[in-house]
Amino acid sequence: MQRFDCLKKLAQVAGDSLVVSSAGAVTLEWNALRPGDGNFRVRTLGLCSSIALGMALGLPERKVIALDGDGSLLMNLSSLPTIARMKPMNLVHIVFDNEVYEASGSKKTATGAGADLVGLARAAGIDNARWAESVDGFAQAVEKAMIGDAVSFIGVKVGTERGPVSPYPIDEVENKYRFIRYVEKSANIEILKSNLPASYD
Amino acid sequence: MNSTEAAQAILKALRGAGINLVATLPDINLSELLRAVEESRELIHVPVCREEEGIGVCAGAYLVGKKCAAIMQNGGFFNSNNAIVSTLLQYQIPLLLLIYYAGDIGDRTFSTTGSLTEPVLQALGIRYYVMRETEDAPELIRRAQILTEDSKRPVALLLTKELLGRRPALKAL
Repeated sequence: MQRFDCLKKLAQVAGDSLVVSSAGAVTLEWNALRPGDGNFRVRTLGLCSSIALGMALGLPERKVIALDGDGSLLMNLSSLPTIARMKPMNLVHIVFDNEVYEASGSKKTATGAGADLVGLARAAGIDNARWAESVDGFAQAVEKAMIGDAVSFIGVKVGTERGPVSPYPIDEVENKYRFIRYVEKSANIEILKSNLPASYD
Repeated sequence: MNSTEAAQAILKALRGAGINLVATLPDINLSELLRAVEESRELIHVPVCREEEGIGVCAGAYLVGKKCAAIMQNGGFFNSNNAIVSTLLQYQIPLLLLIYYAGDIGDRTFSTTGSLTEPVLQALGIRYYVMRETEDAPELIRRAQILTEDSKRPVALLLTKELLGRRPALKAL
């Protein structure tokens, strides 16, 4: 099973969900499949789940999808009990577990040595956590999560193959502004107010 | 001002500055402030397990329109540094950091943490202010929020024991 094939299924049901993706190729693959300003690329390894939690709490009426990886989640395992505690009903946490630090030279992660991320999520208090065993199983799990009203955690074991995609076209600051403007427009809220004083004070 | 009154004054100032989401991790000296945050119905309170998570939570919430603060001890500030650098600073995301100043002058614990807190803030280019007078808290919090929004960088307020009502104010001695 390859991540790119799973992402194709996700793209069919993601709609206007906000998507936060972990450092690494998953961001490029997702951006190729669902280009747009509702995608936010994370640069700090591990922080994907926490940034997605903050978005989900801040905008509870909107689905937020976290595209996490095993190396990333292993670095921020403590986000799992925090997510369980906050119960963001609009958060869909997907972990593509390829058992290596793919963006960092493909050294084996602890999941390759037996750590079970779905087991860890359940033990942290996320009841709605399961492995998807096939691309179709993943598609069904994602579909269910998108219409569900509880936080869901979907783990999927994938190979290390990368999708045929281009580099990410924008830098971090442009990603921030585009994402905020997209949220403003699509949620009809004002986030970036003018900070210019009427006259210099 | 005792610690309960100090906590209420700080909470009121945070609300006055427009803060509506707060990520926290306890220190004994922050206990009254965190109790006030927890009891506030106007704030989304996110108790994190590690301070770096809180930086991510606040960054995510900012991107969808929340005004956030992270409350932690200075050891937690050190724990947060990678996220502060590669998320807040890299993406130019504002955040009010309320950092309890363990190892402050006169403390008998955490002197190493205390002595490195301001140098690390300086190295990161994070503007900060050491708060000692509780009466000043509302105005300083208001100003710090303006600075973080305007500069699009985190701004730190160092909360001392006297600010938190945990030892007498210097001028009262």
